[in-house]
Amino acid sequence: MRSGATLASKTASGTAGIESAAPAVALRGRAVTDAEAGRPLLDVRGVTMQYKTQAHLITATYRVSFSVLQGDRFVVVGPSGCGKSTLLKAVGGYLTPTEGEIRLKGERIAKPGPDRIMVFQEFDQLLPWMTVFENVVFPLKTTGTLRGKAADERAMHYIEKVKLTDFAHSYPHTLSGGMKQRVAIARGMAMEPDILLMDEPFAALDALTRTRMQDELLSLWDETRFTVLFVTHSIPEAIKLGSRILLLSPHPGQVKAEINSVPRGKENSNEAAALGREIHDMLFADQIEEIPNASGG
Amino acid sequence: MLQAVERPNIYCETLGPDQFGIIEKPLTLAERIYNKVWLRKIAILVVLALGWEIYGRWLDNPLLVPPFSEAMRALITDIGNGTIPRRALSSLEVLLVGFATGTVLAGLLTVFAISSRIGTDFLDTMTAMFNPLPAIALLPLALIWFGLGAGSLVFVLVHSVMWAVSLNMLAGFRGVSTTARMVGRNYNLSGLRFVARILIPAAFPSILAGLKIGWAFAWRTLIAAELVFGVSSGQGGLGWYIFESKNQLNIPEVFAGLLTIILIGLAVENVVFRFIEARTVQRWGMQT
Repeated sequence: MRSGATLASKTASGTAGIESAAPAVALRGRAVTDAEAGRPLLDVRGVTMQYKTQAHLITATYRVSFSVLQGDRFVVVGPSGCGKSTLLKAVGGYLTPTEGEIRLKGERIAKPGPDRIMVFQEFDQLLPWMTVFENVVFPLKTTGTLRGKAADERAMHYIEKVKLTDFAHSYPHTLSGGMKQRVAIARGMAMEPDILLMDEPFAALDALTRTRMQDELLSLWDETRFTVLFVTHSIPEAIKLGSRILLLSPHPGQVKAEINSVPRGKENSNEAAALGREIHDMLFADQIEEIPNASGG
Repeated sequence: MLQAVERPNIYCETLGPDQFGIIEKPLTLAERIYNKVWLRKIAILVVLALGWEIYGRWLDNPLLVPPFSEAMRALITDIGNGTIPRRALSSLEVLLVGFATGTVLAGLLTVFAISSRIGTDFLDTMTAMFNPLPAIALLPLALIWFGLGAGSLVFVLVHSVMWAVSLNMLAGFRGVSTTARMVGRNYNLSGLRFVARILIPAAFPSILAGLKIGWAFAWRTLIAAELVFGVSSGQGGLGWYIFESKNQLNIPEVFAGLLTIILIGLAVENVVFRFIEARTVQRWGMQT
């Protein structure tokens, strides 16, 4: 009962936030991409995520809705504590929403599956007892996606794509952080999932490697046009990588805005800088009004 | 008063890698020899053997401490006439049966423990009770239950191996990172396939440590048990060989038996386990 009451009070402040952001959605929504004609690949409807710690029931996101279309580079951006990782884990099937539902190609997501491959931030996502090649081939074979030679060829193809052919038979501990993340991306892409879920995959890399990895991800996307749902707390990264950006407010995460990013290759333009400032202002304004709220709950 | 000094920008030319003289210089022969771990260890062994030899000769009482050379002579004679290899083989046979059974049971117990909360509680309680209990203390009971013979020995061996191995396995499974678990679940792995493909390899350093401890426990327990009885178990193992030699006051043979136990222990540690480590956890970079 008590948690219901808190939720209701948060609804009031939440709707106010959405209303203020609504004109931005309408305005930018007209500049549609060709992909927008199709039906959504991933449909997230009114998802509230809650989890329990030892002493508290914490609402991570509140009634978040968005849909991802085929070929989207959909980026969820928000400050830490906005529940964006929790949301991604729900799409991955690791967590179940307390309210609302998530559908992939019309099917309700109930558990993890190889149609949604996660790429994590942590380097230990690569299985250390397997070489790069074995790591990439492993999901193909265990899920029965491909067998024998076909699996080997597909794995090598994607290892080549991330430019690691020379390291195919090295063990992960001999690779640098950036190379490990490239293996993880190759492993995800080799499965050719409906959607690739990336949870701040470049956050643990140094700035130079990070920029290079962003460029490589974009050129991979140019080649294969995979659908990706990308979570980050970096506004420049969101603008550079995303075709569509979802802004979440902190504590609990609520949709602040859903906007189109600048066109490809214009991440250093004035337009991008203006968009960055706009996003920053929206998130920053939010933090000020949310802080007392968070400490109260 | 500090004054701001105007400093010019400084630009330097750096040398290319081919413009240097010697970047790497080989170490001297003595340094290289000293860097070999096995050479240093052999040197220690030689010093110890020398000390033993000198003390034994000085004491001049072969019934208390025969010199090293006497023990070696007894060892070589009994290896030559096949006594020690036969006894060692008989010990190892029982040991392997006990060790393998204990490890398999530990594996089953641990899988049960991670798959349910009551299983975890069961394993926690059992290890808390039985791990501190010396296996040899169960020997009198084992003798009543299984009679004089290999059955009793295997029973105490299983007891000595199982708890140590399952404790380490459980700790290893618990230590597997959330990311690795999520990766496994992402590929639809569950149940025993998840255990076999993700948990066991990821926890392998701990499992291997458990196996090493289990092996040492089993080896000690076996020799101790053989010292207690062995009379009626027909062939008899190394423990019985030591006991027998002592009764006949063949003290060099007693030392030969002890040396054999040490040698087998060293061989298993440095050959078998080292080999497994080099092929697994070291190659995977999970242990240096």
